[in-house]
Amino acid sequence: MSPKNNFSTYAPRPATLVKKEKLSDLVSLFEFEQDNGKALAHKPGQFIMLSIYGIGEAPFSVSSAPEAGNARFELAVRKTGTVTNALHDLKEGTKVGIRGPYGSYFPVQKFMGKDTLFVAGGLGYIPLRSLLRYQLKHRDEYGRIIVLLGTRNPKERIFVDRLAQLKERTDMEIHETVDVPDKNWKGNVGVITTLFPKVEINPQNTFVAMVGPPIMYRFCIGPCMDKGIPSKHIYVSLERRMKCGLGKCGHCQINGLSACVEGPVFKYDDIAPLSEAI
Amino acid sequence: MTAYTVSMEHIPPLLELWAKEYDVHVPVRDVDGFVNFSPWRPSAEIAWDYDVAYNSLKRFFLPPREDLLRFDLAASTAEPVMEAPLQLLFGVHPYDVKAINQLDQLMDQGTADVNYRKRREATVLVALTPEHVSDLAFWSSVGADSVDIGFDMYFTRISPSSFYVEVLSPKGEELLLARGELPRSTLPEREAAKRKKAAIRAKADKNGISFPWKQTPKLMSRHWDSPLWRNKARHCLSCGSCVMVCPTCYCFDVREEADLDLKGGRRFREWDGCMLPSFALVAGDHNFRPEARDRYRHRYFRKGKYIFDKIGELGCVGCGRCVNACTTGIANPMAVFNDLWEADNHES
Ligand SMILES: Cc1cc2nc3c(=O)[nH]c(=O)nc-3n(C[C@H](O)[C@H](O)[C@H](O)COP(=O)(O)OP(=O)(O)OC[C@H]3O[C@@H](n4cnc5c(N)ncnc54)[C@H](O)[C@@H]3O)c2cc1C
Ligand code: SF4
Ligand code: SF4
Ligand code: FES
Repeated sequence: MSPKNNFSTYAPRPATLVKKEKLSDLVSLFEFEQDNGKALAHKPGQFIMLSIYGIGEAPFSVSSAPEAGNARFELAVRKTGTVTNALHDLKEGTKVGIRGPYGSYFPVQKFMGKDTLFVAGGLGYIPLRSLLRYQLKHRDEYGRIIVLLGTRNPKERIFVDRLAQLKERTDMEIHETVDVPDKNWKGNVGVITTLFPKVEINPQNTFVAMVGPPIMYRFCIGPCMDKGIPSKHIYVSLERRMKCGLGKCGHCQINGLSACVEGPVFKYDDIAPLSEAI
Repeated sequence: MTAYTVSMEHIPPLLELWAKEYDVHVPVRDVDGFVNFSPWRPSAEIAWDYDVAYNSLKRFFLPPREDLLRFDLAASTAEPVMEAPLQLLFGVHPYDVKAINQLDQLMDQGTADVNYRKRREATVLVALTPEHVSDLAFWSSVGADSVDIGFDMYFTRISPSSFYVEVLSPKGEELLLARGELPRSTLPEREAAKRKKAAIRAKADKNGISFPWKQTPKLMSRHWDSPLWRNKARHCLSCGSCVMVCPTCYCFDVREEADLDLKGGRRFREWDGCMLPSFALVAGDHNFRPEARDRYRHRYFRKGKYIFDKIGELGCVGCGRCVNACTTGIANPMAVFNDLWEADNHES
């Protein structure tokens, strides 16, 4: 195979930061617009590589839903190191570089007509939000929508106002919990698994979309199966160190699979036999 | 395949002619006796009889450090960098051609790596049948004793003063005939080349993995939990030498630096390796392969199974470079595969 043009595999294209909004102490929402005026054309669960020149490049899940003709998209990013700190310091109007969208995604076609159980731990809500918003936009095409959301403590909750709005809706349900409450917290207390007994589901008709910290998968897949959800209905998203996003650099490997190409969204059955997955 | 017979004295003028257009690299023995591919000079003495070149040839396609972008900091814009000098590698052994063929497939799979592709396409590869086999090599046992793609010309010495030269590509033929027509090889010459290849293979067969190499992926699958990983990795210094010298390892890191005037800068990739402790480290200090054992096992699984699952070949061509590079003597894939195989046979 010979590349027909001079388009570099690693060259980002320009996008502009149009809006920034604080979601918690460490997490902010960033709205970008592609300079080429085209929609990102991502699928829920996919990620992009974001470049801040002179600082570096890092992978981030797209948190907004795909929308034809809309050149804007959102990332929600936690401050944790070089690139993420620099991103939080950017002023609106600044140019960045993006590559992608990359990777696998939640099979929205397959979920059609079925119920979806979202299991979100902490920042795992960021990529799941893309799927949730997609389904809400195409509400008629999906069955019940049930969201289980766990956060370490109330201070770390993100999208607080938007979640409050979603809780008002009658066409979906959200069950939220925090591991450690503060004095103002009136909701559930306990790890995310304590939410499972609270929901009634029709297991054969339910698909699961689960994203959270590595440890969460170990504790949440069991309860899903205990409820009778077939393992082939469970989808998870796994994050690894990523440098290329294209299956070349080797950093994101989970046994023989590349989390950037075969993932980040995996069918549970495909990764269950892999010792490095969860 | 068309073949020509080329006399020894014909070669220096050919190299001289090629060097006008290409950066020509040939195997040369240095003062310490190590053979390395070095830029050809009229005075260069080609190490025709070398057993293995100290450094692999991946650096010609995937340099240890390669710029990918030049950026302008004020404007926040970037331009791709794709350098691909015309180069001719003369005297490459079949196992090393095989390693390059593997990189070709892996870099092209899915989204093609254009930086790699361009360098590869700017390269003429001249293969050479080895005269000697390194004591550490085991290439004939892992399917890397012969290649039929990936080179432009293939030299086999059939007498002290002549070579049997197969040409595979139009470019190869054009370059070989650049100083005028050459005699087509005769049937006896072809037979002589065949015998030469068979003789060197017989020598190489003395050292090798003790079972058919296609069984390796299944063997690996049975041994994820083998005590071997911990026992061997106990001695691992996590230095990464074994992956740096390997012709088939291609993992890289991407980093960047600003120029001193802070107006611009570059993003570059750099060789990286799964044996290095920070390879799978992410934010929050979470390491997906925290122990030397995890990383050590990963390297062998990559060689013995993961790469095989992608391209149907072992990710090891048996050159023996890693065996030589490892100061604690644990990096030998042949030894590991054979130990696992034996463990099975003792159990059954
Ligand atoms: C598919 C995917 C989606 C992600 N989505 C989000 C998201 O929506 N929001 C968010 O806040 N974070 C997300 N992350 C994590 C985010 O990529 C890291 O927090 C980020 O790379 C840290 O970079 P840094 O330079 O700020 O940190 P540093 O610690 O300075 O990182 C240095 C380098 O290490 C690597 N690295 C460190 N941590 C990670 C990590 N967790 N994942 C991958 N590479 C890492 C990066 O290559 C980075 O350049 C995602 C990661 C992946 C793999
Ligand atoms: S693993 Fe060792 S023997 Fe095999 S190709 Fe790499 S360096 Fe050569
Ligand atoms: S060369 Fe040897 S000591 Fe160094 S990382 Fe490889 S196996 Fe470990
Ligand atoms: S990020 Fe480079 S292989 Fe997946």
